[in-house]
Amino acid sequence: MAVTSRSRLSQTQAAWILLAPFLLTYGLFLVYPFFQGLWISLHDWNLLAVAFNPDAKEYVGLRNYERVMWGRNIEWSLLAAPFWQGLGLAGLALAAGLHWAGRMSRFNAVALAVASVLLIVIPGFHPGEEGRWYDRRFWPTVGNTLVFVGLAVPGVTITALALAAALNRETRAMGALRTLFFLSQVLSVTVVTLIWQIMFSPRQGLIANVTDVLGGSPINWLTDPQFAMAAIVIATIWWSLGIAMILFLAGLQDISKDIYEAAALDNARGIKAFWYVTLPNLKRTVTLVVVLQIILHFQVFGQSHLMTQGGPNDTTQVLVRYIYQTGFRDSELGRASAMAVFLFLIMGAFSVIQFIVGREKS
Amino acid sequence: MKHVLLTAALAATTLATAAPAQEVTLGRFFGACEDAGTDTTASTGEACIIQSIINAADAELDGITITTLPTDWGNYYDQIKAAYAGGTPPDVHVMHRHRIPEFAGLGALGEISGDLESVGIDPGDWSETALAAVSYNGGVYGVPMDFHANLWHVNMDILAEAGLVQDGKPILPSSPQELMAHAQQVKDATGKDYLAADFAQFPIGVRLVLALMWQQNANIFTDDGTATIDTEAARNAVTAITQLFDAGLADPQLNYADSQQAFLNGETAILVNGTWVVDFYTAEAAKEEVGLDTYYAADFPTLFDTGATWADSHMWAIPSTLEGEDRMAALKVLAFINDHNIDWARTGHMAVRTSVVESDAYKALPHRAEYAGTAAIAKDTPPSARYGAIQDVLNRELQAIWLTGKSVDDALSDAEIEVQDLLDR
Repeated sequence: MAVTSRSRLSQTQAAWILLAPFLLTYGLFLVYPFFQGLWISLHDWNLLAVAFNPDAKEYVGLRNYERVMWGRNIEWSLLAAPFWQGLGLAGLALAAGLHWAGRMSRFNAVALAVASVLLIVIPGFHPGEEGRWYDRRFWPTVGNTLVFVGLAVPGVTITALALAAALNRETRAMGALRTLFFLSQVLSVTVVTLIWQIMFSPRQGLIANVTDVLGGSPINWLTDPQFAMAAIVIATIWWSLGIAMILFLAGLQDISKDIYEAAALDNARGIKAFWYVTLPNLKRTVTLVVVLQIILHFQVFGQSHLMTQGGPNDTTQVLVRYIYQTGFRDSELGRASAMAVFLFLIMGAFSVIQFIVGREKS
Repeated sequence: MKHVLLTAALAATTLATAAPAQEVTLGRFFGACEDAGTDTTASTGEACIIQSIINAADAELDGITITTLPTDWGNYYDQIKAAYAGGTPPDVHVMHRHRIPEFAGLGALGEISGDLESVGIDPGDWSETALAAVSYNGGVYGVPMDFHANLWHVNMDILAEAGLVQDGKPILPSSPQELMAHAQQVKDATGKDYLAADFAQFPIGVRLVLALMWQQNANIFTDDGTATIDTEAARNAVTAITQLFDAGLADPQLNYADSQQAFLNGETAILVNGTWVVDFYTAEAAKEEVGLDTYYAADFPTLFDTGATWADSHMWAIPSTLEGEDRMAALKVLAFINDHNIDWARTGHMAVRTSVVESDAYKALPHRAEYAGTAAIAKDTPPSARYGAIQDVLNRELQAIWLTGKSVDDALSDAEIEVQDLLDR
C-alpha cells in the first residue's frame, strides 16, 4: 500500500506534468516574445543592422513611444474636437442620469462613463502654435482602425444574426445554405481580397457591370477616398460572418420552443417574436460575438494591405499595416514594437471587458 | 529484403557523394510563370523570360540545381529583409539599384569585384552607368541586368485621328501648355482621354512628377540631405498634370491594372508606364480582339528645359555570408544571367552590356529604335537608405492632391516636412 502511494503522483504533481507541454510552448512562443517585444520597444533597433551586428541597438527608454504618440507643443483643450468631445460629455450625462433614475445597472453606467471620459480626453490633444505631432500618421491610422472596427463589427453582427435567424430551420435546403454562407470563412485572406478586387474593379467587376446596366457610371471603389474603406469593410463582412452565424445558430437552438409558443399565444409572431423573445435570450451570445469581433478586427491587415495598399492617401491605412511597414519596410523595429504594445493595450482592454461580462451572472 | 534495402541505401549515398549537386536558392520578383521551359529565346513577358533563363541555368550548369522562391511583387523587400535578419537569405537574389545604399551599407551584400572574371563575367563590357549602378563605396555589389525607365506608350490611331502624327511619329508636347492643348485636341476629335497612368496606387504618378521636376533641374532632396519639395519647380510639375484632371482630360482614379486596360481597350491615347511592358503591348496590339492596334513606344517628352525620365536598374546580388562552394555556385548563376542579357532585353528593358547594345539582334527588337533616346535622359533621386519610405510619402501626398482635393501648397509643404523627418532619422 505504502509502495503504491509513493509511486503515485499527487494531484498537483499530475496537473503540473500534464500542463507542462502547454506551459512550455506558451512560455516559449507567447510569453517570451511578448516581453522581448517590450524590450525591443525601449531600443533604437534597426532590423537589418542588429542582424549583422548585435551591438547596433541603443537603449532609448520611452523615446520610441514619445516619437510615435507625442509631438512638439502638444496642448489639451475642451474644444479641439467639438463633435467627439461633445458626444463624450453627452455620454457622461446620460450615464449619470440613467444610473440615478435606476434605468441602468451600475456596471453598464460605469462602462459608459469610462468610454465617455476617454472620448472627452483623447481627442482634446492637438499641436499648439508652432507645434506638430512627431509622427503625423500614427493617430490618423488609429482613427482609421477604429472606423474599420466601428463599421465591420456591427456589419458582421447584424448580418450574421439576420442570416442565423432566417436559416434556423431543420430542412435540407437550410442546411445547404448554412454551409454555403459558412464557406467564405474557410478562404484565406489572399483569396478573399482577390475575389473582391475583381468584384470592385470598375472595368471587369460584377458591381460595375450591375451599375452599368442600371445606367450609372461605375465607382472606382478601391481608389476613391469615399469608398475605399467601405470596400474593405464589405469584403471583411462577407469573409468573417461564418463564425458569428454559427455562434448565433448555437444560441438560437438553446432557446426553448415553449417560449415561442407562449409568445404566439400572446400574438407575438415573426418580427415581434424576434424582437421580444429571440433578442433578449441571445444577449450573451451577442456580447460574446461583438467582443470577439472587436478583438479580431483591430488586427485587420490583409484586406487593407492587399486591396488598397492603405490608400488612397492613407484613408485605409490601419494599425497593423503601419506596424508592419515600420518594422519591415523601414527596419525600425523599436518604433514598430512601441506601436504593437499600444495595440496590445487596446485589445487587452477589450479582453478584460469580455472576461468581466462573461463572469456576470445572468 | 533487408539486403536489397541496404544496397539501395549505399548506392544512394555513393551517388550523392559522387555528384554533389550544389543547391542554389534564388529570390526574385517579376511574378510567377509556370511553364517557362528552358528556351530563353522564345518566352515573352518579364516573368516568363526570367524564369526561362533560370530554368536553362538549372539545366545547363553542371552540378547546380536552382530553387526559385515565391515571386510575389508587393512584399519582396520585406521578405528579403526578414530573411537576412533571420540569417537565411537566398543565395542569389534580384534587387533594384536604389536599394543598394540600404543593403550594402549594412554589410548584407557580398562584394564581388574580385570574382567576376573567374566565372567569366567581363565588367569591362558593362556600360559606365551600369557599373555605377552596382557600385557602392568603391566596391561592386551585384551584376546589373537592365535599365528600365518610364516611356510614353502611344496609341497611334487615336493620335492620328486628332492630327497629332507626322511622318509616322507621334507629335508629343514640349511644354505644359502644349500638353493641355494636345489633350483638348484628342478629346475634341475622339472624345477619349489623352493620358492614363496609375495615379492611385503604384507610384507611377510620383515618377511622372519627379521627371517633370528633374526637367527643371530640380530634385526632391539634395545630396547632403535637405528636402526641397515645397518649391516652384514641384508646383509646376504637379500642376502640369493636375490641369488634365481638372479639365476632365485624364482620370486620376485608375490603378495599374485599370489604366493598362484602358490603354489596351483603346480608350486613351497615351499610357505612362515602364519599359517592362513593351513586348507585352506589342503582342497585345497584334491581337484582333484588343482595342489597341497601332502601338508606338516613345521617349518621355521634355515639357521643360532638360530631358529627364524616371529610371532604375535591376541587378543580381549575393549575400555577404555566402562562402566557398556555395558562393562559387551562386556566382556561376550570376554569370549565366549576365550571358543572357539579350534575352532579358526582349522585355523592352535596356541592356547593360555594350556588346549587346551594339548587336544587330538588339537593334532589331520591336519598337527599340522608337525609344532610343531614353538611355540618355534616365534619372533617379539621390541615393538614400530610406528610398522606399520617401516614395511612399510622395505617393500619399500626391494622391491627396488629385484624389482628395488637398491643396497643392499644403501637400507639398507636408511632404517636405515628412521627407525631411525621414532624411534626419
